Amino acid sequence: MNLFFRRSIIAGTGLFLCIFMIVHLSANCILLLPEEIARGMYNAYSTTLRENPIIKIVAYLLYLSILLHVIYAILVTFRNRSAKPDKYAINKTEDNSSWASQNMGLLGILLLLFLIVHLANFWARIKLGMGASVGLDAAGNVDVYEVTSSLFHNGFYVLFYSLLMIPLGFHLNHGLKSAFKTLGFYHRKGLKVLARVSVIYASILSVGFGIIPLIVYFK
Amino acid sequence: MIIDAKIPEGKLEEKWRNYQRKSKLINPANKKKLNVIVVGSGLSGAGAAATLAELGYEVQCFCYQDSARRAHSVAAQGGINAAKNYQHDGDSVWRMFYDTLKGGDFRSREANTYRLAELSAPLIDHYTQQGVPFAREYGGVLANRSFGGVQVQRTFYARGQTGQQLLLAAYSQLYKMIRAKKVRMFTRHEMLDLVVIDGKAKGIIARDLVNGHLKRFVADAVVLATGGYSRVFRLSTLAIGCNGSAIWKAHKRGAFFAAPSFTQIHPTALPQTSEAQSKLTLMSESLRNDGRIWVPKKKGDLRKANNIPEKERDYYLERKYPSFGNLAPRDIASRAAKERIDAGHGVGRLKNAVYLDFKHAIENAGLHTIKDRYANLFTMYKKITGIDAYQEPMQISPAAHFSMGGLWVDYELMTTIPGLYAIGECNFSDHGANRLGANSLLQASVDGYFILPNTINNYLAQELTEAPISIDHPMFTKIEKEIKEHISKIFAVAGTKTVDHFHRALGKIMWQECAMSRNKLGLEKAITQINSIKEAFWADVKVTGHNDEINTELEKALRLADFIELAVLMCTDALQRAESCGAHFREEFQTAEGEAVRMDEEYAYVSAWEYKRGSFQLHKEKLAFEFVKPSVRSYK
Amino acid sequence: MEVTFRIWRQDNPTNKGGFINYVVDDLAEDMSFLEALDHLNEILVLRNEKVVAFEYDCREGICGQCGIFINGRAHGPHSNITTCQLYMRSFKDGAIITVEPWRAKSFPILKDLIVDRSAFDRIIEHGGYISAKTGTAPEANAILIGKGVSDKAMDAAACIGCGACVATCKNSSAALFTAAKINHLNSLPQGKPEAHQRVLDMTTQMEKEGFGHCSFTGACEVECPEGISIANIAEMNARYFKAKIFG
Repeated sequence: MNLFFRRSIIAGTGLFLCIFMIVHLSANCILLLPEEIARGMYNAYSTTLRENPIIKIVAYLLYLSILLHVIYAILVTFRNRSAKPDKYAINKTEDNSSWASQNMGLLGILLLLFLIVHLANFWARIKLGMGASVGLDAAGNVDVYEVTSSLFHNGFYVLFYSLLMIPLGFHLNHGLKSAFKTLGFYHRKGLKVLARVSVIYASILSVGFGIIPLIVYFK
Repeated sequence: MIIDAKIPEGKLEEKWRNYQRKSKLINPANKKKLNVIVVGSGLSGAGAAATLAELGYEVQCFCYQDSARRAHSVAAQGGINAAKNYQHDGDSVWRMFYDTLKGGDFRSREANTYRLAELSAPLIDHYTQQGVPFAREYGGVLANRSFGGVQVQRTFYARGQTGQQLLLAAYSQLYKMIRAKKVRMFTRHEMLDLVVIDGKAKGIIARDLVNGHLKRFVADAVVLATGGYSRVFRLSTLAIGCNGSAIWKAHKRGAFFAAPSFTQIHPTALPQTSEAQSKLTLMSESLRNDGRIWVPKKKGDLRKANNIPEKERDYYLERKYPSFGNLAPRDIASRAAKERIDAGHGVGRLKNAVYLDFKHAIENAGLHTIKDRYANLFTMYKKITGIDAYQEPMQISPAAHFSMGGLWVDYELMTTIPGLYAIGECNFSDHGANRLGANSLLQASVDGYFILPNTINNYLAQELTEAPISIDHPMFTKIEKEIKEHISKIFAVAGTKTVDHFHRALGKIMWQECAMSRNKLGLEKAITQINSIKEAFWADVKVTGHNDEINTELEKALRLADFIELAVLMCTDALQRAESCGAHFREEFQTAEGEAVRMDEEYAYVSAWEYKRGSFQLHKEKLAFEFVKPSVRSYK
Repeated sequence: MEVTFRIWRQDNPTNKGGFINYVVDDLAEDMSFLEALDHLNEILVLRNEKVVAFEYDCREGICGQCGIFINGRAHGPHSNITTCQLYMRSFKDGAIITVEPWRAKSFPILKDLIVDRSAFDRIIEHGGYISAKTGTAPEANAILIGKGVSDKAMDAAACIGCGACVATCKNSSAALFTAAKINHLNSLPQGKPEAHQRVLDMTTQMEKEGFGHCSFTGACEVECPEGISIANIAEMNARYFKAKIFG
């Protein structure tokens, strides 16, 4: 277990989560369609996700990734803290680096918080059957759409959800490009492209995830 | 005492091989029984320590810095000369030898200088193999440039960082041997005295700069690689920690000091701007390839440079030396600048600088070309002075730079104390009265890597049979006691002036009387003044803190106490040499046009000074020129 | 000009240090920062106080010894310089200047502003060289090296070992320092035979010395006096994985 191994786990799981989030966002986009089309599509889609054996494996990988990402982030942070036991009285990090890069841990904690609430609302209800039971739609699929839609009409929840998509953007922007570097991508021109791709990717995800609940809420 | 340089017989080309053929060898099993101390970890010290360790000797290496990589070899920007003749421009070992000998104004040994040129080519091979990223052509071969008043391109370089890159190579080899447990490295240790037992160098006493402990180290031979002593002028291009203490202590223990007054003054440093200034930063000499040097024709002209019209500017180098112009050798360019400054034409806040102007170069070659060539130097200039040299001329000024003088060594690089060697800048060997640009990295490297490891065996072979000496030997005890008293004495003065106060005073006198031009009266006056500084120092210096901790003031005080004594010897040496040669310019010995007049019949010798309590005795090593005929240097 | 130096004073490695304020009122703008500290020290000597211990040597930006954390930045308010290249004109008259030593577990404080950076030497000791004995070199031009390769090696080789990268890094990572040396040597043909072992040895030592992880904040390349690119760290990572797989 060394510096490279720990960082690579974080980078590898991070990249995997980055890919997952694209899929997740595309599913969320269904919510923007008119309700009569969206409900069926959305529920069919989520049923497929739950029942396809390959996707099931991917789902377990996903849980594992989140777990490892968090555990290794904690391990790395412990090591980093011990490498710098005394802090500077004045440290103008803003002059030499981005705020996000200096605060990935803080951003990560916010996202973890979000994730817990998020999972409690969806995953726990649908998969574990906790809380009020979820009905079926016309096609006989579990009516996940109803769960989502009702949550997205809860003002507090929408505010919570949309606000926390801001730290998500910052976390992804720094995370994506530094994951590539951690895994050894060092082509000079490529790194410049990567920096731009990261900004675009992070913006799309952050704005995309953040704006959908608002649209649903105000529709 | 007759001093014998032990020059091998034979033709110039054969001397080094003849020497090696006859020198004693030591079998590998015995080498590991022999212990060598190397003081200093610059190019020569690190090179020697690593190579001796590779050969099988047990080595202990010392430096005062926090790491061996800091030694001042790092600061050489320009490059390193080698007679590779890659440019097909007529270069050869002989030509390089001749250029070096002539550049030194025929005040060095033919045999040593030839060996320097001879070993230069394999040195480039050596550094390339060690991973030095020398500049290359597009085809992948090594690139060269020309440097310092020679007509061939033989200088190899690694951007503006040649010294740094060579030192890192030497340093990494040193650490390779530390890992192999053949070298023990002592950083933050300063040698305070040499231990001579029964006439042979047998060890040193060093102060651990972290806790002040005095430590004894015993060895079968001691190698000094402690660099130059131009900090005697206080303001110089050297690192602040550079000092002459190790060689001075060795001198006081019996090693002769050769040509102490031969000091090179570099023409293109940044001027002093205040009393508090500690250092004169060197601007690469390459700037003189395109820059034009001038001063206002009117004395004390207070106008800004750009407001002085062309016809009121005096391009004095071009005026005096039409054929070499702004590219005149270092000593000539420095002296000409001092002459103009002394005559009241100096510019800048303290009126101590001359202009180096790129206006014409930018007009002729274009801003882009000048930026391409010198951007890093212009940036550095702006960082330090806040001035944009693309818009207005740079201000430059001469500064004390390299010490050609140093401990006298024979062909084997051994001093007059058996078992004590001096390598690199701290010896007097190859440069004579003036050093050519890009020859200092060369000499330091060649001494450390190639020469010493092949001569030290000739001495060590006989040491194998000697009874080992322990650090409890009474001589160690005696010398340690002397050092302790010396340190206590400094604390005990408890006067009212700082160490730097005395260093500034010493520097001013040395700069005025013993730098670019010297004269009898001035030197005599200087000796009296330095002696009074010495008295004042020991009556009124103040050092706070204790011995048993990091105490930078104490370090400075110990070094300055030695500099003061060395300064007297430098002036004494300059005084006895009633001629002008190379960097040593005696005003009494010049032509009507102000050119140096060398007196070969009387002064074709190396002055080697023996320390006698309170005075110095001169010994002369006659320089015989068997292979070349000394000519008059002319750069008109 | 007048400034107040707020300087970290600590007598020895085990002592608890603290800040002490010193007002100096006769500084000139074209004094270097280190000369201003020299000047303060002369004042302290005359006041019969211990001088501030700080490190320097060449004072021309190349030896790498003068590492000081000034007003929240390694080597002071400007990017890509050493402390000795910092001049008082960069501060306003009346400014309070906070002066701290490098802070990292691997760089223990010896006294005041002086830290022990020997961890860097030990990293070099573990493979930061080419194992070639003096006297074994082939003709220099026998191995051709393209200008691009050589220039890139030189970019990495420019590191002066000042420690600003570790000092400024929130994790005290020595990745930039280690990467610079690995990339310098491993990209040259001369360094290839030991390339894999070098990466593994040097990075293992880097880990042993207690440095933290690189999280690519990029602060190091901004504070590096030689402007060594952070892409070097990514390249080191690639070399590491290559060495692990093929080494």
